[in-house]
Amino acid sequence: MAGGHRAQWKGFLKFSEVSCGVALYTAASTSERITFHTINRLTGNRVNRVFIDSETEDPVPKEAQTKGFEIENGRYIIIDPEEVAAAIPESNKTLEIEAFIPCADVDDVYFDKPYYLTPDKMGGDAFAALRDGMKKSKVVAIARTVLFRRMRTVLIRPHGKGLIATTLNYDYEVRSSAKAFEEMPKMKIVGEMLDLAKHIISTKKGEFDPATFDDRYEAAVAELVKAKIEGKALPKRKEVKVSKPNDLLAALRESARMVKAAESKPKRTAANANAGSSRDKARRASGKSAAAPAAQRKAS
Amino acid sequence: MPRPYWKGYLKLSLVTCPVAMSPATSDSEKVRFHTLNRETGNRVVSQYVDSVTGKPVKDENEAKGYARGENDYVILTDDDLDSVALDTVKTIDIDKFVPAESIEWVYLEKPHYLMPDDPVGHEAFAVIRDAMASDKVVGVSKLVIGRRERAVVLEPRGEGIVLWTLRFGDEVRPEESYFEGIDEEADPELIPLVQQLIKQKTSRWSSDMVSDPIQESLLKIIAEKKRALKPAKKAAKGKPDATQGSNVVNIMDALKKSVAAELKSSKAR
Repeated sequence: MAGGHRAQWKGFLKFSEVSCGVALYTAASTSERITFHTINRLTGNRVNRVFIDSETEDPVPKEAQTKGFEIENGRYIIIDPEEVAAAIPESNKTLEIEAFIPCADVDDVYFDKPYYLTPDKMGGDAFAALRDGMKKSKVVAIARTVLFRRMRTVLIRPHGKGLIATTLNYDYEVRSSAKAFEEMPKMKIVGEMLDLAKHIISTKKGEFDPATFDDRYEAAVAELVKAKIEGKALPKRKEVKVSKPNDLLAALRESARMVKAAESKPKRTAANANAGSSRDKARRASGKSAAAPAAQRKAS
Repeated sequence: MPRPYWKGYLKLSLVTCPVAMSPATSDSEKVRFHTLNRETGNRVVSQYVDSVTGKPVKDENEAKGYARGENDYVILTDDDLDSVALDTVKTIDIDKFVPAESIEWVYLEKPHYLMPDDPVGHEAFAVIRDAMASDKVVGVSKLVIGRRERAVVLEPRGEGIVLWTLRFGDEVRPEESYFEGIDEEADPELIPLVQQLIKQKTSRWSSDMVSDPIQESLLKIIAEKKRALKPAKKAAKGKPDATQGSNVVNIMDALKKSVAAELKSSKAR
């Protein structure tokens, strides 16, 4: 199963008395981004990293390095790796479903990494029954197990013919939105302003497929480097004009008018025209960057 | 409130307001181990040395270099990088709206909280937020973040906006090849039983579901050490359940048993 991919984890998915063999496969990886090298400004040479004692400043060889925990400013206690290992419960290789929660209850800010969850060996029937039951009941499942040397909670949900298990961040890693926004003054927009904004939105409704999105950053940096080598002045960013409270209604009216005008003679709105021109710039940049050396993917 | 790590502008057509953004997640509370020198007990820190002269390099002399050839670097300052010719370095211009729920979860990369950065933009921010909320749409835009230009999705939430960076197409593996061998349909007789079981085990979301027992054990070990007593004994953990259900042959029987067991335990409560 799973077309010859290598599983990250194999074990069992268990709900109450039912269990089935399953495998987890990485669903998302991180692709490379442009990297820079760290350079000594004075000599133009690259730098190397060495590890030294913070007090004696002598180099510390690998075998003399150990792990420790800071108990107060500058005071550390040494913790043996074996002690850390002993704190990790033995894995029972079972993703045990502890609860089902309504889809509407899911707080997605906890999401960490997605994995494809598929039946392994003989687990197909129970797997499909669980998948379709969850789909019909509009719930997701919360399960726990030792995964990659940590006790992880995963959120499991039906996705097409399979399941997706997303690892969740721990409670202490997530700041709730309620907390983050609590100091903002309450403000509710009604009336003409809301109607104008909704009208503008209605003209920009569409579909979006993230798979088709392109990163223009690397090409734009190549362009910047070229300008710098040629000694050209780097372009200064345009000052952004902020809408003042007094002008807000006027700005909304003007936006809505532009939208109307654009509708009567089809073609892009002003906002899109703006986005379009920078896209053209990037295209030019990527064209030129082909000539520039492209040894940018090495680690810095 | 953590220090915002990005400041810029939110824009819808001609409406623009200053905004600040900070990540919704952080590992600052995570038990963090440092590397120590076993001989002295001091911290081990990293230091940069010049690869040719071997001399230490001061922080202020470290610069970002773009390789234009072998051992030939163009130094880029932060100001240089800031003037890269993309409006998306500083401005989140929402140029598209899509139904809320229409963005696949696998594309969600990292959540951030976006809020007005100056009272002057408060109302403009609220207009954009409330119009999205009342239309049940999310905004789609792009933003340069972490040396990449990413697609981002803006979702009104409470008084603020949650901004998700999205993964790129080549970062999400095509699901078809993973799911190809799976049965399309389940045995219809099993589904009502599964649904009954789901009903019995359904509860509300709680952050207790994402506690970290291993971190708690580590904190205990540290606390014990701190009391400067003898070395800590192994943290006694309950023996993990060794039973394995791999031999469950008849799913129907197991489901029935489960439903009965759940009923009993819910009565006992």
